[in-house]
Amino acid sequence: MKRVFALALLLPMLFVAPASASSLAQEQVLSSWYHLILRLVRHTATYSPPLASRNFAYLGVTSYEAVASGDDHLQSLAGQLHGLKPLPPRQAGKAYDESVVLNAAMAAAMVDFFGNTGPSGQNALRAETAKMSHDVAQGLAPDVVGRSEAYGKALAAQIFTWSKSDGGATIVNMGFPLKYKLTPGPAHWVPTNQQGIQQVPLLPEWQKNRTFALPAAATCDLPPPPEYSEDKSSEFYKQALEVHDVKNSATPEQKAIARFWSDDPMLSPTPPGHWVSIVMQIAEHDHLPAAKTADALARVGVAVADAFIGCWQTKFEYDLVRPVTYIKRVIDPKWETLLITPPFPEYASGHSVQSAAAAAVLSTLLGDHYAFDDATHVQDGIPARHFESFEAAAAEAGISRMYGGIHYRAAIERGLQQGRCIGAYAAALKTVK
Amino acid sequence: MKRALLPLVLVLAAASTAHADGPTIPRFVEDTKSSGLHSVYKGEWQYMVGGGVATFDCNGDGFPDLYIAGGENPAKLYVNTSKKGGPLKFAEAKSGAELKQVTGAYPVDIDGDGIMDLVVLRVGQSKIFRGLGHCKFEDVTAKWNVDGGDAWATAFSATWEKGNRWPTLAFGTYIDRAFENEPWGHCTDNWLLRPNEGQAGFGPRIALKPSYCALSMLFTDWNRSGTPSLRVANDREYYEGGQEQLWKVNPGEAPRLYTADEGWKFQRFWGMGIAAADLTGNGYNAYFTTSMADQRLQFLSDGPQKPSFKDAPFTMGTSAHRPFTGGDQRPSTGWHAQFEDVNNDGLWDLFIAKGNVDKMPDFAQKDPSNLLLQQADGSFVEGAEKAGLINFGEARGAAVADFNLDGKMDVLIVNRHENVRLWRGVSPHLGHWLGLRLNGDGANRDGIGAWIELKEGEKLVRREITVGGGHVSGINSWWHFGLGDQAQAQLRVIWPDGTAGDWQDVKADGFYFLQRGKPPAPFMPR
Repeated sequence: MKRVFALALLLPMLFVAPASASSLAQEQVLSSWYHLILRLVRHTATYSPPLASRNFAYLGVTSYEAVASGDDHLQSLAGQLHGLKPLPPRQAGKAYDESVVLNAAMAAAMVDFFGNTGPSGQNALRAETAKMSHDVAQGLAPDVVGRSEAYGKALAAQIFTWSKSDGGATIVNMGFPLKYKLTPGPAHWVPTNQQGIQQVPLLPEWQKNRTFALPAAATCDLPPPPEYSEDKSSEFYKQALEVHDVKNSATPEQKAIARFWSDDPMLSPTPPGHWVSIVMQIAEHDHLPAAKTADALARVGVAVADAFIGCWQTKFEYDLVRPVTYIKRVIDPKWETLLITPPFPEYASGHSVQSAAAAAVLSTLLGDHYAFDDATHVQDGIPARHFESFEAAAAEAGISRMYGGIHYRAAIERGLQQGRCIGAYAAALKTVK
Repeated sequence: MKRALLPLVLVLAAASTAHADGPTIPRFVEDTKSSGLHSVYKGEWQYMVGGGVATFDCNGDGFPDLYIAGGENPAKLYVNTSKKGGPLKFAEAKSGAELKQVTGAYPVDIDGDGIMDLVVLRVGQSKIFRGLGHCKFEDVTAKWNVDGGDAWATAFSATWEKGNRWPTLAFGTYIDRAFENEPWGHCTDNWLLRPNEGQAGFGPRIALKPSYCALSMLFTDWNRSGTPSLRVANDREYYEGGQEQLWKVNPGEAPRLYTADEGWKFQRFWGMGIAAADLTGNGYNAYFTTSMADQRLQFLSDGPQKPSFKDAPFTMGTSAHRPFTGGDQRPSTGWHAQFEDVNNDGLWDLFIAKGNVDKMPDFAQKDPSNLLLQQADGSFVEGAEKAGLINFGEARGAAVADFNLDGKMDVLIVNRHENVRLWRGVSPHLGHWLGLRLNGDGANRDGIGAWIELKEGEKLVRREITVGGGHVSGINSWWHFGLGDQAQAQLRVIWPDGTAGDWQDVKADGFYFLQRGKPPAPFMPR
């Protein structure tokens, strides 16, 4: 095994470049595919935030490995991510086109990870594959195109095979188990809406999935939330009352923040997709090279995927009641949230955890004070917001959940801590030799 | 107002006369093979929605005839040749409306001549056909200055605005067909056509901006104000920044959306078909919207001053979120919905046509249509399997109607890629019933916008007479009421102008024309 790994590391040095390169740069290939990925994540019903995070990780790793396989300076993630074995080597002395390799890998991965999308998504996927395959091969020798495509597909195939054993590959009933026993007692989660499918929590065993860079699901686990109480002097009551009051008195700006980070499944690219969208906006705005963009996509993908596994560990360990349930029962029977309460336990805040994790890797990669504009939801009529740093964006994502009435302060603040802890593992991945 | 706010279950329990041991299960036998119906809704992406049927009497014999959308196949008109209480029989007839690219149709007597006209929704130009009698039609799209657009038409509704002799028409459309490879965010405009004052035909289109890929629309008087609003079910799969909509359409004013400040709730789901009925007897309709996974039943929640609707409790049994039989437990996909009393017990039941969009692995491929029967406590239970009404096809439009005029409801389902299916109600022991039609003079002959009220013991059963809703499937025929054990009933009509007719006694188990200021006129089927 070690020999194969060592050989794989040496092989890039033996490659030769094609006589002429694709007219489509790798940056354009990444941009086109990620545009469609963010579309399909929104429009594929299985793509709840946890599943979206998982597949962002695999797609990010696929794009990164495709780029890294042709760049002598980049280090493969094989051996660094749990269960990822050395990827297939290229043929020594043969010419490859890097854009064709990347495109073929992404096209294959799209079929693998979006097999469940509907007829319009399949149409879009077919059209994009045909267009990109045509455009990327223009002016290249057929043997180079064929060899590059074969390599990209082989690379994607191995990553897809790797993905199948992580525990999250098969999603039934949109992630809602057909049978589930609720934990008895007022402190614990109960359904928060009248939808039949959501009378059980989403993906209650997601924490059992294999992590990517995080050593284990519980590595960054949190202490218990404030002890459940209905006593008005208790910390739990105070935090619930804070949610009640903050939501009720939310300013227009706070409401806008809540909507901006709402990131509802089927109506947005989901919370992890929001951070992938940020990466792509920065990549295009700041003209990041493909290697840097692919690195960021892989790290963010890994960070948010590990974040959902780690967060789910905490959620189902404590199984805490949502504010809407508690507030209606104890404080104000007519109270309503601003945002839709997600159908799973409260502690910790998933958006806080995954946002802090994504911010941690992006801060490491691009800097602690990297200012940017985020126009993820402009097409939905939600204006762009400006952030002075990734950390500031993550903090706003966290507090947005209180403005929306769906999380207590402890879940947000500790969720951000948990996210930073989890993100540090993705940030520590070695991508430059 | 206060009654509207009473706890739902209490209201329902007080209103119910159904048996305490559960609802009567109606029985159906399938008559498809012997029916004479041969119509396949054909087509791929541009026909993944649509697939409707118009149910109406086109030859004046009282029996409901059919105009069935064929997608890439020509639409067909079938004359009902059934005998009273006999097997369901239809004969294809040349109507002049045998168009291709038809997604659905709604019958409405637009010119008030007493002969039903047809609004034909299409992928392309939607058209209006004027009824000539004897099931013949002429295309009057140009003659009546109807802007049929060039769109993927997927919804329709009509209302008579106060003072108008002709109706206002609302057309709903779906995705811009030019963007097949990236359709998201490319919903085309819905539009209104108001009649030309003092002359036949219609004025220019009034775009209903924003539009969010409508799959059903219904003019309905949600707050009993006397002025219907336009409820629109929108498919969140394709819109960006969209939501469900309720348009305020006041005579002489530009239509405008009800806002959050007025009480309209921000709701986004896969809105696909609308059905309405006063389920609680409180005088206000509940609205059922089909969707993917959970179907949505909503009640007016803050009284008639605010268009605020709240989801029915899960325990109502109307979520119908996954198949009830067949072994496929993935979430369901709902299309046409229709409230009818299929077991004549005096309680509204609910039929939901179900079917996968098109090989969507996240959703049930084997997705049986539902027949939800209302119980004494107001909740619903599934009755389709016991009733013998099992359809695993990719259902879209449908019609629940009494095709053989025996007082027992029958069911027609339009499935994609296969012949329509037809079931006949054959229950030997159902409750009493009535079949009613409004018969006005001049404009609005069918009393669109009226309410029929029946006293059934202590309770009042109401039905709003509408054109629209469902999924591209319109019915303008006998309005069916179940009476339970009552051999007679008292009824009245609240006409579209708000005038309430006198309470009148009628004997059960018959058909009646209701005319303003006159006693109910019996109709005897052949």
